[in-house]
Amino acid sequence: MGNTLEQVDTHEPGFALHVEDLTVTYGATPVLWDIDMDIPPGVMAAVIGPNGAGKSTLLKAVLGLLKPVAGHIRFLGRPLSEMRQAIAYSPQRQSVDWDFPTTAGDVVEMGLYGELGWFKRPNREHRARALAALQEVGMEAFAERQISELSGGQQQRVFIARALVQNTPIIILDEPTAGVDVTTENIILELMKRLRDRGKTLIVVHHDLTNVQAHFDWLVMLNVQVVAQGPLNEIFTEENLRATYGRRLSP
Amino acid sequence: MSFLQDLLGSQIVQLVVLGAALLGAMSGILGSFAVLRQQSLLGDTLSHAALPGVCIGYLIAGERQLSLLLPGALVTGTLAALSVMLITKRTRLKTDAALGIALSVFFAIGTVLLTLIQAQGSVGSAGLSSFLFGQAAAITKGDISLMIGTGTLLLGVVLLFWKEFKLVSFDPASAQVLGLPVLALEGALTLIVAIAVVLGLQLVGVILMVALLIAPAAAARQWTRSLSSMVMLAGLLGAVAGAGGALVSATGRGLATGPVVVLIITGIVLISLLIAPQRGILWQARARRRLTKRLPAVTVPHDAKRRKFPIRGVKRG
Repeated sequence: MGNTLEQVDTHEPGFALHVEDLTVTYGATPVLWDIDMDIPPGVMAAVIGPNGAGKSTLLKAVLGLLKPVAGHIRFLGRPLSEMRQAIAYSPQRQSVDWDFPTTAGDVVEMGLYGELGWFKRPNREHRARALAALQEVGMEAFAERQISELSGGQQQRVFIARALVQNTPIIILDEPTAGVDVTTENIILELMKRLRDRGKTLIVVHHDLTNVQAHFDWLVMLNVQVVAQGPLNEIFTEENLRATYGRRLSP
Repeated sequence: MSFLQDLLGSQIVQLVVLGAALLGAMSGILGSFAVLRQQSLLGDTLSHAALPGVCIGYLIAGERQLSLLLPGALVTGTLAALSVMLITKRTRLKTDAALGIALSVFFAIGTVLLTLIQAQGSVGSAGLSSFLFGQAAAITKGDISLMIGTGTLLLGVVLLFWKEFKLVSFDPASAQVLGLPVLALEGALTLIVAIAVVLGLQLVGVILMVALLIAPAAAARQWTRSLSSMVMLAGLLGAVAGAGGALVSATGRGLATGPVVVLIITGIVLISLLIAPQRGILWQARARRRLTKRLPAVTVPHDAKRRKFPIRGVKRG
C-alpha cells in the first residue's frame, strides 16, 4: 500500500516540505506519531513544542538521519535523494566536538563538500564563497580563528554560515538561537528574515515563545503529534499553546 | 657515536628500527582520525579481537605462517567492529559498553584458542604468544616491504578521501545530509585502523597496540591547529617513538621493543600535555600567573592599596 505512494514520482510539488503519516519510535515509545505536515515555499516556519515533543527528531526524520517506522516525505514534490542539492541543514551546536582542529572558515567551506564531489579540493572561489557567507552572519573577522576559541553564539553563526554557503532554496535549522544572548539572537533572526525575503524556505526548531510571533510567519505546533499548523497569526492562540504545552504555560 | 654505529650496523637492528618507525608513522596518521571521532577505544577492541584470528589462522595453516595469521586477524577484527556497530544500532547500549563487550569476548575466545594450541604442544606454537606483547626481533625484510606497500596504499586512501574523512570525523550528520555515504566512509576509516593494527601485531602485540594509535594523535593535537598539521605531526611523533624505542631496546638486554616504544610515546604525550602553547597545563598556568600580576596594575584604582581587605596580587602600602 505504502509502495504505491513511493512509486509516484512527483507528489505535492506545491509544498517546500510535505510529510505524510510519519511515525518514529525509540523502541516501543512513539516519539512522533502520525505526522501530517505541509510547509509552503517562501515562508519562515517555526517548529515549536515542549522538551521531548520530538522537534529535532522531526527534522532528523525528514532529512533521513533516522529511519521512521512509517512515513512519506517530499521536498518540492520530489524525494530527498533527488533534492539533496536543494537542502541545507544545520544541526544543534552541541552535536559536534568544537575542539576539532580547524578554523571557522574551514567549517563553512565544509558546506560545499557535497557539491564539490569526490576527489576535488576547494579552490580560491570556494574560499571566497565561504568568506562571503561568514560576512553575512557578521563573522568575517573570525575566518582564521580556531573553532574551539569561539563563543557559543559565534559557533552558532558559523553553522548558519555553513548552511548559507550552499545557497539552497530550503534551509533547515535545529535550534539556531539556543544558548545565545539577545543581541546574537536578533542578528540571527534578522538574517533568517532576509533569507526568506529572498524567496528561501526556512524550517526552524525554535524554543523561545516570546519572539515567535514577531519573527516567524508559519507555525508547526508539535507534541509527539501535530497539534496545529498553519499561518502563524491564525494558529498562535492560547488554546493551541495550551494544547501543545499542557498547563506549563507560565514562562 | 661509534656505539650507535655498531648498533645500526647490525642488520636486525636496522630492520627493527625501520619497521618500528614505519608502524609508528602509520598508526599516528590513522589514529588521528580515531581520536578525533572519539573512538580511541575502537583500536583497542580491534587489536584484542585480532588474537582469535591469529590463532584460527595458525590452526588452518598448522604453522606460524604470517600470510594466514594476519588475514585471520583482519577478519576477526572486522567481525568485532561489526558487532560493535550492531550492538549500538540494535540495543540501547552505548558505544563504550559495546566496545568493552566486543573487546573482552573476542580476547577471551583468543585466549582459549591460544591455551588450547599451546596444550597440544606442537612445534612453533610457542611463537604465537609473542602476538600478545609483540616480538620485534622476529621481523623480516618481507615484513618491511609489506608494511611499506600497505602504508603507501593507506596513505593514498587517506589523501584521496581527505575532505570526506574530515567532514565525517567532525560532523557525520551534516555529511549525510550533504549526500556523502557516511556509513561507508566510517567503515573505511575503521577498516584502515584495523589494517594498521594487524601490521603492528608482530612489533608491539595486541595489548599495547592501542597506545601507538592514540598517543601520537593525542600529543600532536596539543601542538597543532589544523587537521593536516595534526595528522602529519602524529605520523612524525609515531615514527620518532618507534625508531627511538627500537634503538633503546637494542642497547639493553631483555628490553622488549614494543613496551619501550609505548613508554617513549607516552613520555612525548606527557610533555605535550604540560608545555604545548595554548593548550598545555603549564603554559596555561603561566599565562594565568602573568595576568594576575598585570591586572591589578591596569584595573585596580589607586587607593586600592589602602583597602581594608587585600586584593590578591596587590601589595598594601
